[in-house]
Amino acid sequence: MTRLMRTSEISGLPVVTLAGDDVAQVKDVVFAGDGGAVVGFTLAGRGLLAGPLKTALAWTSVVGLGPDAVMVEGEESLRPAEEVRAAAETTAGSTRGGNVLGDQVLTDGGTDLGKVVDVVVQLDGSEVCDVVGYEIEASESLAARASNAAKGTRLFVPLPDTLAVSGEHLMVPASAESFVAGDLAGFGAAVLEFRAQLEKGA
Amino acid sequence: MQWSQLKGRKVVSTSTADRVGKVDGFLLDPQTRSVVGLHLKKTESGSVVAWNDLAAVGSDAVTVADASVVVEPDEAQSALGGKRGAVLKKLVLDDAGRALGKVTDVDLDPETGAVRELVLDGATVPGERLLGVGSYAVVVRAD
Repeated sequence: MTRLMRTSEISGLPVVTLAGDDVAQVKDVVFAGDGGAVVGFTLAGRGLLAGPLKTALAWTSVVGLGPDAVMVEGEESLRPAEEVRAAAETTAGSTRGGNVLGDQVLTDGGTDLGKVVDVVVQLDGSEVCDVVGYEIEASESLAARASNAAKGTRLFVPLPDTLAVSGEHLMVPASAESFVAGDLAGFGAAVLEFRAQLEKGA
Repeated sequence: MQWSQLKGRKVVSTSTADRVGKVDGFLLDPQTRSVVGLHLKKTESGSVVAWNDLAAVGSDAVTVADASVVVEPDEAQSALGGKRGAVLKKLVLDDAGRALGKVTDVDLDPETGAVRELVLDGATVPGERLLGVGSYAVVVRAD
């Protein structure tokens, strides 16, 4: 079953073992260096006064991720935070931990689509937690071109499998613009179509 | 047999016909997916009886051979009887991270104590999908 989820919805979820114990909660999502996948999560203790933990959770140790919890095998699934950070850095790309919030999304045709406000991942039970799109606040130029958007409207932009990321810009193919979706429900299909079209072109 | 019907039933000794207590709680072992003991109140001494020590679970009373099978809980039994081992009113999560509701009742096999079904507010989950019972949630395998 394939499902899309905003990564902002993952922060704060309890990390629960299959034995039913809540061993941590998600603090931040750690992206691969190129921003194309989620490699894991940093963790905080449970409870109001608990601080950050020295352990982290690699995506490969996640049994299930849903709207209400992140499920893991057991407490031993939590690893020292350095291991997860190292996994993020061994992947090619920038070393900013894949944080793209606030970055400007530019097409290779030079159009500003808007600013990233959230990252959308695809959950399909596979080994990789693929970043498939960004939720953006539509720019003026996108609002002028898209019929379903005013400036500041939140829209979803599909991403190719790999993309170029610098400190301030994310580069997407110009064709991404025609696959912009207004809601997450219709976005899954848009991502598939967009990627299929890119493959045909390549 | 629903737990809600078993709760409050009297426990009677078959050897003396004395009432030895009243069913108050159950100890559920998530590993075997079955109830391995009952917690009793209003006893002379002891507070738990192992499921294997029950003579019968009848519609009006639970019978035991003798009052001596009602004992103080050992370490494993205390763990299952504690807050962490409790099932009723606890959140149910599936292994895909989705909350299914809270446990309102449990359907048991009166012979073996096996959990046939977890009854949630608005749904039921077959007992064989039970994976674990912990401090935060009851975890079940997703559909």
